[in-house]
Amino acid sequence: MKKILIELVLTVAMMAAVWFGLSQVDWMKLLNIEQTTRDTEEKIGDLFWKMLKSSETEMTSDSIKAPVDSMLTRICTANSIERKKVKLHLLRKDEINAFALPNNHLVVYSGLIAACENEAELYGVIGHELAHMEKNHVMNKLIKEVGLSVLISMTTGNGNADVIKEALKHLSSTAYDRSMETEADLTATDYLMKAGIDPESFANFLYRLANETNNLPSQIYWISTHPESKERAEKIIAQIKGKSFPKAEAKDSLRFERLKERMK
Amino acid sequence: MITISKFYYQPSEHELEKASNSYLMSLIAIMGGLPLPIINLIATFIFYLGNMKGTYFVRWHCIQALLSQLFLLPFNSLGFWWTISIIFTPETITSNYIAYLITIFIFNLTEFIGTIYTAIVTRKGQHIEWWVIGGLTNLICKDK
Repeated sequence: MKKILIELVLTVAMMAAVWFGLSQVDWMKLLNIEQTTRDTEEKIGDLFWKMLKSSETEMTSDSIKAPVDSMLTRICTANSIERKKVKLHLLRKDEINAFALPNNHLVVYSGLIAACENEAELYGVIGHELAHMEKNHVMNKLIKEVGLSVLISMTTGNGNADVIKEALKHLSSTAYDRSMETEADLTATDYLMKAGIDPESFANFLYRLANETNNLPSQIYWISTHPESKERAEKIIAQIKGKSFPKAEAKDSLRFERLKERMK
Repeated sequence: MITISKFYYQPSEHELEKASNSYLMSLIAIMGGLPLPIINLIATFIFYLGNMKGTYFVRWHCIQALLSQLFLLPFNSLGFWWTISIIFTPETITSNYIAYLITIFIFNLTEFIGTIYTAIVTRKGQHIEWWVIGGLTNLICKDK
C-alpha cells in the first residue's frame, strides 16, 4: 500500500511539475493569441461603430463633446486608464442610453445626458461603461450571446448586415449578467472615489430612473437594460458608507448645465 | 513505468482476447469521449461489468483498464470545465490554461500509447502491470 501511495504522489507531483514548467512559457505571446484577440475586437468594434454611425446622428461640435471628453479624461487619469484608447461618441437620440462597444468605443446618447440631474450622475454612467470595457465584459458578452464563430465570420467579411445589427442590439439594449453589472457598478464606484467624485449621485441616478421606468419604459433603455437598479444603488451606497467626498465645483456644475441645455 | 511478467497461470486464448479487448474498449471509446472525458470511463466500466464474472486474468486487466481511465478523469474533467468556463463566463484564456491543456494532452497521449502497447502485449500472453495502477489493481482484484 505504501509503495502505491508513493507512486501516486510521485505521479501527481510529476504532472504538477510539468504543468508548472509549461506555465512558465508565455503561450499567449508565443501563439499570438493576445494579438489575434485584439485584432478581432478592433475589427468588430469598428464594424459596429460604422453601422451605428450610418443610422444615427453624431454630435461632434466641441461645445458638446469637450465637456464629456474632459469628464472621461478625469476618470481615466485618476484610475491610470489610457485615455487615448477610449473612443467617445455622442449621439443625438432621446433614448436614455449609453453603452460600450468592442475596441473601447463608448457611446452616449443625448437623452441620457439630459436625464442626468448633475455632472456626478453622468460621471457614474461613464465610469460604469468604462468598467465594462476594462473588465473585458463587452467581448465576453458578445461571445456568450452571439457566438465566437459568428463574430469571426463578421471580421472576415462574411457576416451579413442583419447579423451585425442583431449583435449590436445585444450590446446596446440588453443587459450584461448580474455579476458583470455588479462588478461594473462597484468598479465605477472605485473609479469615482479615486477621481474625487461622490458616487452617491450615481446611486441616486439608478434609484431615480428605476422609479421613472414605469412612466417611460420605452425611453429609459439604460435602466431597463440594467435590472435590479434599486438593489444596485443600495450596494453602491453600502460601499461608500462612512466616506466623505469633496463638493462639486461650481464651474463644473455650470458647464454641465450648459451641456444639458445643448441636448434639448 | 510498466512491469512485464508472466501471470501465475497460463491464461487460455479466449482469456487473452477478452483481457486485450478491455484495453481496446477504452481506446475506441476515446474517439467518442474526447470532448466528454466521462464517456471512455463509462464504456470501460460497462465492459468491466460484462466481465465481472470472468476469469481472474480477464477481471484483473478489465480493472487495470478501468482504473487507468479513472486516474485521468479528474484531470480531464478539470480541463473540460475550465474550457466551458472560458466559453460561457468572463474567464479568459491564459498561459496557465494552455499549459494545463498541454500537460493533460501529454499524459493522455502517454496513457493512449501505453494502452495500445498493453493491449498488444496482453494478447500475446504477457502480463503487464502499470505504475500505480497495477498495484491498485492487485489490491482490488483478488483470485476467488
